[in-house]
Amino acid sequence: MKFDEQVPRNALVWIIATQFLVLMPHLGRVPVWVPFIYLSAALWRTMVYRGRWSFPGGWTKSLLSVLCFGGILANFGTVIGLEPTVALLLIAYALKLVELANRRDAYMVVFIAYFTCLTEFLFTQELLIVAYIFVTVIINTTCLVALHQPGQDRFIKRSVLRAGGMLLQSVPLMVLLFFVFPRIGPLWNVPLKAHTARTGVSDNMMPGDIANLGLNDDVAFRVSFEGRVPPRSQLYWRGLVFSTLENGVWRSLRWKDIPGNARRAAEPELVGAYSDYSVIMEPTQQNWLYALRYATTRDRGIVSVNDFRLVSPVELQDQRRYAVRSWLDVPLERELSDWRLEVETGLPEEGNTRTRELARQMFAAAGGNARQFVDDVLIMFRTEAFFYTLQPPRLQGSRMDQFLFETRRGFCEHYAAAFTWMMRSAGVPARVVVGYQGGEINPVNGTVIVHQFDAHAWTEVWLSGEGWVRVDPTAAIAPDRIEFGLEQALAEEGSFLADTPLSPLRFRSIDWINSIRLQLDAINYSWQVFVLGYDRDFQVNFLSRFVGNFTRTQLVIGITLIWCLLLLPVAAVMLWRSRGPSLRPEDRAYLDFCKRLERRGLVRQVAEAPSVFAERACATFPAAAEEVMAITQGYQQLAFEAKVARDERDERDVGDAGDGITSLADLRRRVRKFTPR
Amino acid sequence: MTSIAQHSGWQRMRQRARTRWHRWINRRIPPAKAVTLDQRRIFIFPTGIGLFFLVTLLVMLIAAINYQNNMSFALTFLLANLFVVTVWHTFANLYGLTIHAVRATPVFAGQRSEYEIMVSRPKRLHYFGLRFRWGTDEVFEVNLKERDEAHVKLFLPTQSRGWHQPGRLHLETVYPLGLLRAWTWLDLDLHALVYPSPLPSDALAGVATDQPDGSAQPIVGTDDFYGLRDYQKGDSLRHVFWKSVAKGQPLQSKQYAAYADRSLWLDWAQFDGLPPEQRLSHLCFWALEFERSNDEYGLRLPGVSIEPDRGETHKQQVLKELALWGREASLREV
Repeated sequence: MKFDEQVPRNALVWIIATQFLVLMPHLGRVPVWVPFIYLSAALWRTMVYRGRWSFPGGWTKSLLSVLCFGGILANFGTVIGLEPTVALLLIAYALKLVELANRRDAYMVVFIAYFTCLTEFLFTQELLIVAYIFVTVIINTTCLVALHQPGQDRFIKRSVLRAGGMLLQSVPLMVLLFFVFPRIGPLWNVPLKAHTARTGVSDNMMPGDIANLGLNDDVAFRVSFEGRVPPRSQLYWRGLVFSTLENGVWRSLRWKDIPGNARRAAEPELVGAYSDYSVIMEPTQQNWLYALRYATTRDRGIVSVNDFRLVSPVELQDQRRYAVRSWLDVPLERELSDWRLEVETGLPEEGNTRTRELARQMFAAAGGNARQFVDDVLIMFRTEAFFYTLQPPRLQGSRMDQFLFETRRGFCEHYAAAFTWMMRSAGVPARVVVGYQGGEINPVNGTVIVHQFDAHAWTEVWLSGEGWVRVDPTAAIAPDRIEFGLEQALAEEGSFLADTPLSPLRFRSIDWINSIRLQLDAINYSWQVFVLGYDRDFQVNFLSRFVGNFTRTQLVIGITLIWCLLLLPVAAVMLWRSRGPSLRPEDRAYLDFCKRLERRGLVRQVAEAPSVFAERACATFPAAAEEVMAITQGYQQLAFEAKVARDERDERDVGDAGDGITSLADLRRRVRKFTPR
Repeated sequence: MTSIAQHSGWQRMRQRARTRWHRWINRRIPPAKAVTLDQRRIFIFPTGIGLFFLVTLLVMLIAAINYQNNMSFALTFLLANLFVVTVWHTFANLYGLTIHAVRATPVFAGQRSEYEIMVSRPKRLHYFGLRFRWGTDEVFEVNLKERDEAHVKLFLPTQSRGWHQPGRLHLETVYPLGLLRAWTWLDLDLHALVYPSPLPSDALAGVATDQPDGSAQPIVGTDDFYGLRDYQKGDSLRHVFWKSVAKGQPLQSKQYAAYADRSLWLDWAQFDGLPPEQRLSHLCFWALEFERSNDEYGLRLPGVSIEPDRGETHKQQVLKELALWGREASLREV
């Protein structure tokens, strides 16, 4: 092997460090055995470096590759899709380390690392991840720097500083390119994220199935209002409407169940106050979007469906930002079609007889007035011994009978379902609506942060003349849940975020922790708005506003010029710092002495020792011999002292100098007076 | 026929290109004993790995476009500009360095001459992976870290007597990232003197002497102290009597005596009938022989005559005449 092909030890250490840095953010998405591949690869390559083990043979490598490929296939069930592809890339990256023998391999490993850093962004573009990847890129670049430091076996800080400095110098240029590079559509279809668990609200509901509602503090979406935020009790974020009940399961109407003429939502008359806001939703792998009631949008990628919801035709793979205008008081669907009436009053043929009976009695007592009936049922929930809890008993058989007459404990799902049952039993159209309620208003930037634990279920009742009216039976049992949020409602039970003891939200009562959390959330929100917002439309607007009056050629020239201008400071720094000699003062004095002799025709040869030169000088200018010897010896003494001081880092008395020159000032003075004759 | 004609045409073209190249580079980087590298003297171009890096960037850009992913765009552009910034950093790893010609040791034809050069940095910055190559494939790599200068010794093969023309010194670096290569070609105006290769011959017919054998004669040598005389230009500095200098007296040289056994003449005419190069090789051989046996010897070549003498200086003078005899005057003092 040629010596310049070897990989220095430092470079190897940096490469191994980079591998773990690159793997870290992917950990949640790869099979659990992948980190062990990384550990083994690092161990193997270290042993090879120490000369204990040897590089794996061709058979071993093939076997390892096949095993890993099989492992990925077994884990994901496929190798198509983003996650399996990234997992395969990560494994190839780890295995490449074991056969890293020369520089060319090292370049390969470093370049694969750059690409793997990019794949992290396909999953998340959070500010923290971006910062983390920037650090990883610095360390990865350090590998390249260390690779070109032959014979450098000790760690030096300068390698990292060099890599970091170069990347920082690239940032201004990167920002310019980022803004002006044309955003064109995808060139071809790419593997999508297929196997991520669906999060958030589920698309069906079976009250009594869950004995302990595990809620978490993940953010579902963030909302930024233009103007005032509506009162908390108005913040019902509709996501799904459950109109059908089959086998005890509430769910939405299927597309094929809806007759053609009812598929489009009837456009209501737009009156009253409205509210403009934009939502940034975290990926859910679902189609539905959340918005306040009667939501309209100008976003071309979003459709409005017949029960007044917003739906995205493609599942939400990534964060999604959309702008909405909501008319909070508009009456919805004043006229109910026969088909709709039948659907919204439908109940199973059998079961829950006591519930049906109770509903019929109460409806009759209300004199057949639906509005009065609704109020009576709510009063019943409020006055009788119903309790709000996240740990309700399980229900079986005639679940509603069991709930209303026996257990009487439950959370929003139970009350919404029971309420709808009673309405429908009396022939009043009603349905369950699922989504989020409330949210936390961040005082820093005024956004509403809606967490997963804000998930909620309520009902909508159709009243003639008024259309669909929102009724929240949970509010009757636990008004705190609506007014103040889940935490207050569960203050006695203590079950709020019981599964996540370290969640920062549990420390909301500690002021400074809370304010840091809200500050960070505000920064994160601005970042998301920027990252998600800078698309083709925005770019065209943005650029045309600033540079709309220029031709394409002028633009290209202008951008190139700015780019060069940004590059200039880098060049200036690089050239300025290597200009001009940085000699030690004693050297400068001696060179002055040499120059004086050179003027008289005696030139010091390259690399000629001062003592040898002094002999020649004495021979040429015998009259000045004494002074020549004194200056030369004085200089040598000073240079030696300086070297000792540098080497041992302390001042040391090295005895008397030759002919009385003991200080730098002395040497300078003697040289200034020196004139060879 | 045509193929030969084409071939010679091709060669002529190459020859012409080479001449033009030499003329251009000589204008751009003229020969000098010490060269400080500046922007006129440094060339820069991506390495093969650098081109591969650009391909990687293209793949990353396609991924960013297909996923419409803003941070992937950002990362791709960051690395693209890293490549651009690397141009300066690679350039700066040569910029400001001074390359000095130190010495080239004289050798006999066919041997390798040791060319010594020195590279020094202008400031206390780190310079890594400076790779020197001169003619051969042999590469000498140095770093400038703790020390301000480094000496580089390269061994260059020689072929014929005279001043050796080593061609241009090639200095390159790919530090810091290996994506770009900065390089320079330097003519350090450094030439090794190549003596004829010594060639033994049977006997030396008609060794001419003009001094009787065995006469004891005080001549300058290094054996025994003989006396003092006024310093003359050319006297070895080792023989200067420094004590008298210190007393303020004029410079004096110490004289040593040696005893000559015989004086010999090496004569061009002694090898009548042989080709000139062979004659010079024989003469070279005998000069070395006489020097070893401590004889005095003189040299007679057509147009050249050196009085008999001995010692290192004399030997070098004789060998130099042998090396340069018959070379054009312009080439004698390179």
